[in-house]
Amino acid sequence: MTWTEIGWVIIGLAVVLLLFFSLLFSQRGRYAVRVNPAVNAFVKQRVRSLEGGKQSQVALGDRFWSRAYPALGLHALSVSASLEETDLGAQETQVFAAGTGELALFARQILCGTYQGGYSSALNLILTGPTPYSFLAGFLGEMGLHSTGSVGLFGHYGPTGALILEAAQMKGGHPFAAAGSISAQAALFLTTRDLLIGEEIFLLPGLMDRSPSLQAAWISEDILRVLLITLLVVAAGLTLAGVL
Amino acid sequence: MKRIIAILVASLTGLTVLAGYFFQAQLANLTGLLIEWGILLIGLAGVIGIGYLLKMHLVRVAHWQKGSLLSLIVLVAFLVTVGIGFFLPSESAFFRNWVLNIQIPVETSLLAILAVTMLFASLRIIRTRGWTLMSASFLISALISLILNLHYLNPAIGTAGAEWLEFVRRLPLAGLRGILIGIALGGLIVGLRVLLGMDRPYEDGP
Repeated sequence: MTWTEIGWVIIGLAVVLLLFFSLLFSQRGRYAVRVNPAVNAFVKQRVRSLEGGKQSQVALGDRFWSRAYPALGLHALSVSASLEETDLGAQETQVFAAGTGELALFARQILCGTYQGGYSSALNLILTGPTPYSFLAGFLGEMGLHSTGSVGLFGHYGPTGALILEAAQMKGGHPFAAAGSISAQAALFLTTRDLLIGEEIFLLPGLMDRSPSLQAAWISEDILRVLLITLLVVAAGLTLAGVL
Repeated sequence: MKRIIAILVASLTGLTVLAGYFFQAQLANLTGLLIEWGILLIGLAGVIGIGYLLKMHLVRVAHWQKGSLLSLIVLVAFLVTVGIGFFLPSESAFFRNWVLNIQIPVETSLLAILAVTMLFASLRIIRTRGWTLMSASFLISALISLILNLHYLNPAIGTAGAEWLEFVRRLPLAGLRGILIGIALGGLIVGLRVLLGMDRPYEDGP
């Protein structure tokens, strides 16, 4: 079996699992989604920030697409839809920040409705800088201008993402991160307690919105993960035994 | 109808590009064309994004809001860079020096701040995360890694000590691969959800 064929098998299996569980959960049955204290704390702090008139800042990443982490930009857009506050008062104390033009444009389209229908003037979506470093400098500058409540990091970052969370903590805000890359996760681990690592990042929308299709994504990912772990352990055992 | 067309266009384009990875010889021309269109659209979106950036700073300066001085500096720097960029080619040594001599020192100083922040954050980790198995493991493994990478321990090649050292050095790689496999699985599911029309970020907002 070639690597291409293994790739097709994994993708095919994921498609079958997603479709099967989406159909199953839309009719009956639910998947018991795990409780994540970090996500619960973030949601509570967001509500507190919005009620207390402090800014709730959501950073959507310093790039939309990267070769090593192609889905992080899409994930940030997916999360932004879950985080959107429809209440006008809440919209004014909520800021979405993007690090590239396409991320800002797509997020704006998601958050404000149709492109043709015009933009909501209450929505605070800003492009703080078009490159990773200018995004960081711009975002830190924006944080300095307002009283910070909760700060959520989603999407793609380098280790410099840790500076944002450190600044948030220094301003008395509540930092939360569900962001990549590997180097960013290592740096973020030091600066915040509320951090999602690895595959947990992509399960976040399912924790905030327990719709059947998101629960199908949860269970599909869990099954694939267990399957891969089993295969890796078996392959390692067979290699040790000299069979492979 | 508009909704169905959007889902069809997104799904067919995505599936074609995905198939292009597996059938490179047959679909190279088509996927190449689709990727070029995508790059063109992303470039255009980038220009619109720059428009957002300018608008935000212009509004701030016009109303003399908090932070307007910084916005003014951003606007002036942007206009000067764009102005010079229009008249000089990007290969121009003068243009490159002019931009890079500002950009590189600024970025380097941000990295320096990051290094200091990381150092203090490492020292504060117990206060941030408490005495947990994770934080204790992190501290111990960081310490062991630091000692090993100082190269004070140099056992002879082929001895049990050398093999043990090699094993300890490779341990972080195993963890890294585990996290990368998790990220890849998550990314696969997110991508497939978009391709199958379950997640529609391109659609009208709620």
